[in-house]
Amino acid sequence: MAAYLSMGEAHRRINDYLNRFADSVMSQDVGSLKSLLTLTADSPFLLAVADSISLVQDGNRLIKQSEKYSQLAEILVPLLRAIQCYRVNNLADAYHAFEKAANAFVQEFRNWDSAWALDAIYVVAYEIRVLAERADTKLSSEGKSPEKLKAAGSFLMKVFGVLAGKGPKRVGALYVTCQLFKIYFKLGTVHLCRSVIRSIETARIFDFEEFPNRDKVTYMYYTGRLEVFNENFPAADHKLSYALKHCNLRKEANIRMILKYLIPVKLSLGILPRDWLLEKYNLVEYSKVIQALQRGDLRLLRNALEENEDRFLRSGVYLVLEKLELQVYQRLLKKIYAIQKLKEPGKAHQLKLEVIIKALKWLEIDMDLDEVECIVAILIHRNLVKGYFAHKSKVVVLSKQDPFPKLTGKPMGS
Amino acid sequence: MAAEAKPAAEEAKMDLFEDDDEFEEFEINEEWEEKEEAGEVTQQWEDDWDDDDVTDDFSLQLRRELESNEEKK
Repeated sequence: MAAYLSMGEAHRRINDYLNRFADSVMSQDVGSLKSLLTLTADSPFLLAVADSISLVQDGNRLIKQSEKYSQLAEILVPLLRAIQCYRVNNLADAYHAFEKAANAFVQEFRNWDSAWALDAIYVVAYEIRVLAERADTKLSSEGKSPEKLKAAGSFLMKVFGVLAGKGPKRVGALYVTCQLFKIYFKLGTVHLCRSVIRSIETARIFDFEEFPNRDKVTYMYYTGRLEVFNENFPAADHKLSYALKHCNLRKEANIRMILKYLIPVKLSLGILPRDWLLEKYNLVEYSKVIQALQRGDLRLLRNALEENEDRFLRSGVYLVLEKLELQVYQRLLKKIYAIQKLKEPGKAHQLKLEVIIKALKWLEIDMDLDEVECIVAILIHRNLVKGYFAHKSKVVVLSKQDPFPKLTGKPMGS
Repeated sequence: MAAEAKPAAEEAKMDLFEDDDEFEEFEINEEWEEKEEAGEVTQQWEDDWDDDDVTDDFSLQLRRELESNEEKK
C-alpha cells in the first residue's frame, strides 16, 4: 500500500493537506475546503494523504508544531484520523473521528459572522450521513449493533440548530433538513421529522421560496410522502406536485420517485395520469389499477393489488390504493345505471340491489344483500352516490340530478 | 417537541434501514432552469375522464350479463 512512500514524502503530503486546509479557512475559499472534507469521494489526493498518515503515525505532531495549524487542531486532529480510518475501512472509527472534527468545524462556523462556509457545512452534513450508513452496514454485517446513523441524526439536529436562527446562515437549514429526512426515513423514525418541519414552516422571518431549488424539491418530496402516510391527500398532492414541477428533468430517477407517490394520491382524488407518464417513467404497476377505475372492474383492482402487494406495501401506498375500491364501486354502479338507461330510461334511477349482486357475481365477487346494502350506504355517506334506500323493495333510488358526483380533485367524502 | 399524540399512520410503516425510494442527491451547486418541458410531466393528468360511455368491452359484457340474467327469471 504505502510501502514505496518515503518518510519525507509522507510528511510533505500531510503538510500539504494541512496547509491547504488552513489556507482555505483563512482566505475563505470554500471550494478548496469542500474538497478537503469530502472523504467518501475517494479522491486520489485524500487517499495519498491517508497513506501518508498511516506511515508517519504521529501526524498530530505536525499539527501541534505549527502555529498555523494548531489553531485548527480540534478540527484537524480528528479529521486526519477519520481520513486514515476510512482508508483502511475502519468505518466505525472513521465515523466517530469525523463527527468530532465536524463538531469542531460547526463550532467555528457558528462564530463566523458570514455564511461563506455554508457549502462546506453541506459537505459535512452529507458526509456524516453517508459515512454513518456505510459504518452501520459494516457493523451489522459483523453482527454488531449499528447505531451510527442514529448518532448522525442527533448530530445533524445540532447543525440544524446552528443554521435555523436569523441571518444569512438560515438559507442552509433546508439542506440539513433534507439529510435528516433521509436518515429518519431510513431508520423508520419519520415522526422525528415533525419538529424540523414545524421549525421550517412556522418561521415567518424567512420565505420558503428563498431556499435553493435543490432543497425545496427534496423537502417537498419527503413531506409529500409523509402526507401520503397520514392520508392527507390534498396536502400530499400540493407537495408532490410542487416537487414534480420544480425538479431537474434530467434527474429521471427522482421524477419517477415523485410520481410513484403522486399517482396514488391523484387517483384517490379522482384524477388519472395519462399512459405516457406511466410508460415514460416505468410505472406500469399502476396500469391495471387505473384500468379498474375506468371500468368499474373490482376484480381487476383486487388482482392488481395482489400482484404488486409487496411493492405497494414497501412504498406504503397499498392502503391508499385499497381505498380506491369505493371509487370502483361507484363506477360500476354508474355503468349499471347507464346500461339500464339504454333499456328503460324511465326506471333507470331505480337500482335493484339484486342487480348489483349479479354484476359482482359476474366479477367473481360473492356478496349478499346485507353486504351490498352496506357498501351502497358507504357510497351515499361518502357522497359518491346521491340517492336513498327503499328498504322494503331492496332498491336504491338514485337522485335524478348528478347521481354519481365526480371527485375531480377533491378528497372523497368532502 | 410534539406534545400532541402522533397519528398512528406515521408509525412503523417502513422497514428498519430500508428506504427504497431515497431521493437522489442533487449536486451542491446543481442548478437548473425550469424549462418549458416541465409542462410535459405536470400536464399529464385528466380530471374529467369519468363519462357515460358504455360501448367498451367491459360494459358490453356487463350489459349482456345483466340482461341474460333478467331473461332467466
